[in-house]
Amino acid sequence: MPTMTFTIRRFVEAKSFSRDYSFEYMAGNTVLDGLIFIKEKLDPSLAFTASCRNGVCGACALRVNGQAVLACETAIESLAARYHSARLTIAPLGNFTVLRDLVVDWQPKLDRMKQVKPWLIPQDAFSADTGCRQSQTDFDKIRGYTDCILCGACVSECSKLAADSADFLEPFAFVKAQKYVADSRDDAPLKHLDPAIQAGLWRCMHCEECTAKCPKSLDPAEDIAKLRVMAFKKAMVNSAGAQHAQAFYEDINDIGRLNEAKLAIRTDGIMKSLTRVGLAYRLMKVDKLDPFHLPEPIKNISKVQKILKAAKEADKS
Amino acid sequence: MKKVSRRTFLKWGVAAGAVAVAAPYVMMNKNNMFTSTLTEMAGAPALFDVLVIGSGGSGMRAALEAGRQKDLKVALMTKLVPTRSATCMAQGGINGALRHADARDSIEKHAFDTVKGSDYLGDQDAIRFFAEKAPEALRELDYYGVAFDRMQDGRMAQRNLGGHTYARSAYSADQSGLVILHTLFEQCLKNNVNMLMEWQLLELVVEDGKLCGVVAMNMHSGKILPVMARTVVVATGGYGRLYWVRTTNPFSSTGDGIGACLKVGIPVKDPEMVQFHPTGLAGSGVLLSEAARGEGGYLVNKDGERFMRRYAPDKMELGPRDLVSQAIETEIREGRGVGEGLHAAVYLDLRHLGKKKIMQKLPQLRQLALNYEGVDAITQPIPIRGTCHYSMGGIDVVDYKTCATAIPGVFAVGECSCLSVHGANRLGGNSLAEVVVFGKYAGNGAAAYARNNAFDGNQTALDRAADEWEQRFAAVSSRSSGSTVPSIRDRMAATMWQNVGIFRSRTRLEQAVRNIDELLEEYRSCVVRDTTRIYNTAFMNYVELGNMLPLARMVAMAALARQESRGSHFREDYPRRNDQKFLQHTIVTRKGAEYSLTYRPVAITDYQAEERKY
Ligand SMILES: Cc1cc2nc3c(=O)[nH]c(=O)nc-3n(C[C@H](O)[C@H](O)[C@H](O)COP(=O)(O)OP(=O)(O)OC[C@H]3O[C@@H](n4cnc5c(N)ncnc54)[C@H](O)[C@@H]3O)c2cc1C
Ligand code: SF4
Ligand code: SF4
Ligand code: FES
Repeated sequence: MPTMTFTIRRFVEAKSFSRDYSFEYMAGNTVLDGLIFIKEKLDPSLAFTASCRNGVCGACALRVNGQAVLACETAIESLAARYHSARLTIAPLGNFTVLRDLVVDWQPKLDRMKQVKPWLIPQDAFSADTGCRQSQTDFDKIRGYTDCILCGACVSECSKLAADSADFLEPFAFVKAQKYVADSRDDAPLKHLDPAIQAGLWRCMHCEECTAKCPKSLDPAEDIAKLRVMAFKKAMVNSAGAQHAQAFYEDINDIGRLNEAKLAIRTDGIMKSLTRVGLAYRLMKVDKLDPFHLPEPIKNISKVQKILKAAKEADKS
Repeated sequence: MKKVSRRTFLKWGVAAGAVAVAAPYVMMNKNNMFTSTLTEMAGAPALFDVLVIGSGGSGMRAALEAGRQKDLKVALMTKLVPTRSATCMAQGGINGALRHADARDSIEKHAFDTVKGSDYLGDQDAIRFFAEKAPEALRELDYYGVAFDRMQDGRMAQRNLGGHTYARSAYSADQSGLVILHTLFEQCLKNNVNMLMEWQLLELVVEDGKLCGVVAMNMHSGKILPVMARTVVVATGGYGRLYWVRTTNPFSSTGDGIGACLKVGIPVKDPEMVQFHPTGLAGSGVLLSEAARGEGGYLVNKDGERFMRRYAPDKMELGPRDLVSQAIETEIREGRGVGEGLHAAVYLDLRHLGKKKIMQKLPQLRQLALNYEGVDAITQPIPIRGTCHYSMGGIDVVDYKTCATAIPGVFAVGECSCLSVHGANRLGGNSLAEVVVFGKYAGNGAAAYARNNAFDGNQTALDRAADEWEQRFAAVSSRSSGSTVPSIRDRMAATMWQNVGIFRSRTRLEQAVRNIDELLEEYRSCVVRDTTRIYNTAFMNYVELGNMLPLARMVAMAALARQESRGSHFREDYPRRNDQKFLQHTIVTRKGAEYSLTYRPVAITDYQAEERKY
């Protein structure tokens, strides 16, 4: 049987350290099996959580070599092959507070999620006595969202949360918001959408780490995009983000490419742009932004404008 | 100027945006519902009107019901993050005679199917009540937002599950439990239900017959705390983990709440009634759905023989669950299986179905076998064996309308309880229904009790119990020699599987009782080997084993006393049902190391027992 070594990042009562554990494994053994073996045979003090051990409860998400996975669904064999290595680094999920070893603190995450009102606000026509009505087509629009198991894998490598989590919710919270925005039984999509905007809808960085990591094939990044479209539809064009997108649109329409220098001004207005001078200066220093560069329209600008026009028409109908 | 990637550019934008738009950002955590530090900060222990233990479907439903009554102080305590409960694993569906899919269905027919399914051990008054309330419970779930599959006219769709005359199971694809549990959780969030999450119940405290509260460990801080309560609703789930690797249940189904009730003298009803499912993966017990056999999968032994022809020549692999489970065990016992010990197995062979059909009809099943056995069903047979699936027995409930137990103020609901709706055998889809129907009535029952009764528990007794746990923690966690918790647990599971499993007999059961008594003794000096306080899961597992061992003892003892075969309980030495003697519930009570067993007649209102034929 092949041997595997887990280098586990430990954190016990304010002490951080790493420890190596080696064991033999066979086909069909998962990362969770490895952890259980370590706990039962090598070191009972190792802490992690797991419950269903087949990918539905969301308790066992952690990071292997920096990437979030469900421990119970990830075969050691395939990891060994992917990384060409008999050693893997196991660490708790990123963007969470660690309680102990591989156990992270969910309390603040679940509390924060409440902002988007992640529950059905049923239409008046329905009642607890009669239940609801929904066509299968409308049901199909929401069925994917119910796959979320609240495992937190989407949180772990989120670029925006890593940059600043104070003004941005966890990706799964946007999934919840979109789930009810899209539910035909819901009476008040705006009641989920408005708080989603407040909670950072326009601050997502589109890195798509959330989508890449979701073990249940949800697509939080896409849901954020859908919520943004909804925000537009609802004509909530006053927010900074919506203006930013409008500015994108105008640039593309006018010159066929983005005018980065102008973009900030258009998005937030002159006053706010001034608050960004510091950033612009830093960008210029590293040669990332040339304020004197006013881009020319691209060669085929008329074609671009035609495409945009056609898209607009299509959207109307 | 160098090109800037879209991703990098946007990162800058956001970084800048953070500076610019920090001001209008709404305050978070205004209404913090997770009161983890609640009883610690207040100095004195808090007094709850209703304290629900366990956040599966039953606990959440109960907490929701009581929590809506704003004048009451309600909390939901659970040992994991709330959505990690067994309830999320249920796939098939949830029953109620809604009559959407089939107008011939009725409350009576649902009740009768359940009575018959229970092999007549179910209490007919409770079953009638259950069937009556199930349709409204389903409509309520729909109103809460459960994403049910739909009929043409937009009402909930229903499918047929085994043992039911009509299609009466509402469902959400193959993840009905997940969707129900998460929706109930959302409702708890909406209603600001207090959650003591990642708190493990250690003990119920009752002094002079009066409930004082509970002792629990806050896993986040590692503190052992007394929590005063006027009422406690125990909703801690089943005890499938008595069979450890040979169960479909999650790691958390260790019968903690039952253990706590036993300790204060509340009896357990019908503990011997444990349901087995024929197709669990060999290594882990993970459930492979019946669809595998439904689509035409073969069961073969190590010689490649389709052995079902010797047990059920007509139905072959599609015989009833108990018969198929027994056939598999016989093959293994007579040396025609593969592998050893608890991991011995026969094969589920799907290869003849072809790649196309497997990928179309059974993709998830193939994935499970790949993940957990490293076996590709398209090219290899899957090693499987019976696996413990459900606990019919549980905390003796004496009033099904409130879920009250023998001790005033203590209520029990869900898989940890025994009302008894499932009798000797539970039908598919009836458990989720039980959980939401009775969750509501337990929540109401507890709330009403809390309103009408002043707290007269003894706070000193509660503090003393907490102190005793404190000392126990110190003693056990620092002990350095003795058997380990997993080693005792594995031997318990082995004896349970071999002697109190699918086949039972006097000699085997007596052997089991002896083995478990020895293990109980060994447990007293076992080691945990972790002295730290914060999130000490080694100690958590030690507590769980302490709950499982007495329960294992009771299952074996009750199975030994029940000299008949009924539902899931199969005695080789008494292969027939005996209504004369055993149309009765087993009631087991524990007093220290003494266990005593009595019987109580089954409530029969509408249907006389007759032979159960399908
Ligand atoms: C694989 C599988 C498939 C199933 N399919 C179906 C189906 O299709 N239809 C159906 O009707 N039924 C099905 N069932 C059965 C059904 O899911 C369960 O019986 C039901 O969900 C039990 O719910 P519960 O609320 O009683 O307990 P659980 O959901 O088990 O919840 C128990 C709760 O108690 C907590 N707890 C336990 N001990 C403690 C402690 N010491 N301190 C604090 N908290 C504690 C746990 O963390 C958990 O939150 C299935 C079960 C399994 C395992
Ligand atoms: S796409 Fe947005 S939400 Fe998803 S990980 Fe990246 S920044 Fe986070
Ligand atoms: S969206 Fe995916 S990764 Fe995120 S919590 Fe839900 S299931 Fe997990
Ligand atoms: S243990 Fe439940 S998802 Fe891994």
